Amino acid sequence: MKNLVLTFLLAVLVVLTCVTIRRIVSGSPTLAGQKTTLVAIGADPVPPTPPKPSN
Amino acid sequence: MDSWVVSYGIQYVGILIEAGLIVLVAQRSQRNRPISVLLYLSCLLASALARAYALRVYGLTSRQYFYIYWCTDFLLVISAFILVCLFFRRACLHEEKMWRFARLLLVFVFVVVLCISGLVFSRNYKDLFPYFVYEFNQNLYFACLVLNTLLYLLLQQIESTDDQLGLLVCGVGIQFAGPAATLALVHITSSERFALSLNSFSIPMCTIGMLLVWAYAILHVKEKAIQVARREIPVLAEVAAHLNIQI
Repeated sequence: MKNLVLTFLLAVLVVLTCVTIRRIVSGSPTLAGQKTTLVAIGADPVPPTPPKPSN
Repeated sequence: MDSWVVSYGIQYVGILIEAGLIVLVAQRSQRNRPISVLLYLSCLLASALARAYALRVYGLTSRQYFYIYWCTDFLLVISAFILVCLFFRRACLHEEKMWRFARLLLVFVFVVVLCISGLVFSRNYKDLFPYFVYEFNQNLYFACLVLNTLLYLLLQQIESTDDQLGLLVCGVGIQFAGPAATLALVHITSSERFALSLNSFSIPMCTIGMLLVWAYAILHVKEKAIQVARREIPVLAEVAAHLNIQI
């Protein structure tokens, strides 16, 4: 069971590392005022749509 | 409409559990009180109250709630990192060499996160909030997830007898790994609607899960201490009998 959980965690980390590397290579930040999928801490509702950054 | 009612319900349940846990930890004796847990719970409760106030006054889709949510998230990831550092210190209490290495690793990880976030910010230096805060929050979040997993492995490696620390680390793991897993699902399924809604629900549910595991950890160790105290009586009687024979 412990090994299964650790393998799952490792798989998650691999996927996220690949996504981060792809993002760094393509040169785009996590949020450019468009993308809303993020991780956060707390039991509160996540704000649905972030406002576009002011120019 | 129903999903928002559930979200608000989860929020208030979270606040209640956090307040209850703070009272529970504060009531314990000075020696058995986990200060790191108390500090983190205080940050969680303060953030939850600020968010609840903003949500009630300004509404879920308002800019004010959005800014308060992500600013308090900034405070929470910093306090989560400090919590993981304090857990490392507790795990390496009798392993000085290990602690020196862990301390270096923690400082190195924090500097790397700062540099990567600063790199993104330098490309978009006009907007501190959207770029630096998001990048820093997300990067430190995943750094905490990796460090917490390492800490769990370290506890297995040194065969730690600190059961409470093991459960506290598992609780933190639930909080970090759950949303990270659903975020991975969102990326794998190319932002499917189900994955997106699962991701938005996993964040509060995993925090509640962590709080429940922590509550169990704090109560469980208390029960164990009583059991140990009861078992000491026959041992003392045995020693006393042994001394009588010697005399």
